[in-house]
Amino acid sequence: MRIGTVKENYIADAALFDTSVQKGWLVALLAGLVLLPFFAGQYASYLACLVLINIASTTGLNILTGFTGLVSLGQAAFMGVGAYTVAWLEMKAGTPFLLNLIIGGFAASFIGIIVGLPSLRVKGLYLAIATIAASVILHFVFANWTAVTGGVSGVTMPAASLFGYELVEPKQVYWIIMPVTVLMVFGAANIFRTRIGRAFIAIRDRDISAEVLGIRLLRYKLLSFALSSFYAGVAGGLWAYFFRVITPESFPLMMSIFFLAAVIVGGMGSILGGILGAIFMTMVPEVLKMMVGVLTPFWSDAIAVMSPVRIIVFGALIIFFLIFEPDGLAEIWRNIRRYFHLWPFKT
Amino acid sequence: MSIKNFTKRATGALLAAGLLSGVAQASDKKDLVLGGSIPLTGVFAFAGVGLHAGIQDSVKVINESGGIEGHKLVYIPEDTAYKVDASVAAFNKITSQHDVNFYYGDSTAFEKTISPEVDRSGKMVLTGASFASELNDPVKYPNVFIGGPSYTDMIGILMEHIVKEKPGAKVVLVHSDTEFGRDPVEGAKETATKLGLNLDLVISTAPGGVDVSTEVLKIRRARPDYVIFHGYVLAPIPEFITQARSMGLKTKFMGTFWSSDNSMVQKMGDAADGFMGVMPYSYYYDESENAPMLEKIRSMRDTYQSNAYMQGFFNTMMMAEGARNAIKAGKELNGANIKAGMRAIKDFDTGGIVGIPVTVKGNSVPVGRVYSFDASKKKMLPASDWIRLD
Repeated sequence: MRIGTVKENYIADAALFDTSVQKGWLVALLAGLVLLPFFAGQYASYLACLVLINIASTTGLNILTGFTGLVSLGQAAFMGVGAYTVAWLEMKAGTPFLLNLIIGGFAASFIGIIVGLPSLRVKGLYLAIATIAASVILHFVFANWTAVTGGVSGVTMPAASLFGYELVEPKQVYWIIMPVTVLMVFGAANIFRTRIGRAFIAIRDRDISAEVLGIRLLRYKLLSFALSSFYAGVAGGLWAYFFRVITPESFPLMMSIFFLAAVIVGGMGSILGGILGAIFMTMVPEVLKMMVGVLTPFWSDAIAVMSPVRIIVFGALIIFFLIFEPDGLAEIWRNIRRYFHLWPFKT
Repeated sequence: MSIKNFTKRATGALLAAGLLSGVAQASDKKDLVLGGSIPLTGVFAFAGVGLHAGIQDSVKVINESGGIEGHKLVYIPEDTAYKVDASVAAFNKITSQHDVNFYYGDSTAFEKTISPEVDRSGKMVLTGASFASELNDPVKYPNVFIGGPSYTDMIGILMEHIVKEKPGAKVVLVHSDTEFGRDPVEGAKETATKLGLNLDLVISTAPGGVDVSTEVLKIRRARPDYVIFHGYVLAPIPEFITQARSMGLKTKFMGTFWSSDNSMVQKMGDAADGFMGVMPYSYYYDESENAPMLEKIRSMRDTYQSNAYMQGFFNTMMMAEGARNAIKAGKELNGANIKAGMRAIKDFDTGGIVGIPVTVKGNSVPVGRVYSFDASKKKMLPASDWIRLD
């Protein structure tokens, strides 16, 4: 049982991890991430990469929607901007992958600022519609700017290379995706220890009050859009290096809804929530597939019969979590932690 | 026991042991694995369920007739919900758990994405639901197989039929503004020029668009003899036909593979009568002589099976034939050799799945037949002979 954590100064109060146990778990997690490709097979490595890319993009959307209160359904399109930029740079300029990812992020960021302009006038569902419109425009550009995007056929790009060594398999690309995602998540967590992050939260809680307090809405709303789409752009770039084929249909509107669902299911306005939401949305369908696979030796056509059931179960699970814990998976996690902190006493 | 008897018995025992071990060896031949990223859920599930059943039945027929030169064929599917990331996940899962020789994909995007990995592994051939013209390139996609004509070739088959019916006819191409829809546009223009057809108007419609009145007005102004639809499954084809007929147009309407399934055409209602489609395979109910495989399918499944089913059945059959050719040639069973075995397929009798013997050209089988819907019989019935593109 832990009675409490004494915080003697402001720095300690603002620390991301306030106990040695937390720091220990963090070290274990990082060690696990480093060791994962040495023990995981091709399939597990693939899923790990996919989860990490989704975490990066979900974290970006969480900055905008969860922390700033601006709903966006353009995250997939911003990822597309990042992916096409990275592919173009890789093929035409031959610049290093890290630089490509950063430029991809800034390209998406630039578009994000433009898309974010309506947020000064509208919010909520109206802003969501504005971002859908931007998404449609971007998809049109992807499909028709043939010289850069390859048109509807898309582009096939070469693998990323590090010191002349090509990173082709999921286990190899993991060494790009994992560190970049970890850095981005830590970056996002740290933003909310700064004035900028607190301004975002103030805007989310009451934008008029925030403005009265001296927070310039124009600057901070656009900054939030820029940061969010930067994350999406880098995630799109990682996606491009991972799949190496990009078409306009690679980043559909459904993908944006996927990220928004991940933010909501995980817990809006919580970095951990974004991570848990992305893991939930990516892994639960796979776990359900595995469960259907377990039936196959006993029931040869289980996959055909049970696949639609699996989709229903996935939907029901999302509804279940939203009803029983509207604050998301992050709150469930916090409840579990509280239980063990105070055990054997009741929380 | 005399030495002579002992020698006889010992020789007999050794022979028996040898024969038995031979039998054991035959039955111990390594299983060949067909993995599949199959869209059993999602927007393409209407086809995925058929594909799955077709592959299952084809595998069953192959195994009942002794497998592929004694090798049992095992089918390992995974549902993908028609999402590329899920399809690639399924590919990674299946290939990490099994030694895969053949793989069935669910979309053009997946086949393009996974093709470099298939080439790199060198272990398997890749086929799928896609007829994308881009995949019909043996240099760029050496291990890919398209189980029928590419979309460009489908338009070519329809145009060959048009030329026979009405040389110099005026044709309009209507396609969806998607990768799937745009696929054959350039090829169609080239084929029209080559065949002396007048293809001056190409109409592109927004994906999922249902209000087609503006496009129908363009068709009314052009007054074409034929309109070819591509890139749709059902909507907005019925709206086009209904509005065009209400304007008194005598135009004939045609579609490519995915809009030619008999059950799908029936859903067009009154607009279906006279609608023509191109099919690389026979329909489930086709009554033709020398079609034992069609009869076999009907004996296994007594209800109508979709054109996706026929594709799954045919592609599996062709990949098995490619592997058979590779084994007969004494080659190792890898992607390159199976594909070489497939390219060696010439005048292959499919037992009626395709009405004429088939030959693989490039990555595809450019053969098809034009069918027309007879509303009184509620069936797509042959409107042409089998057409083979050279």
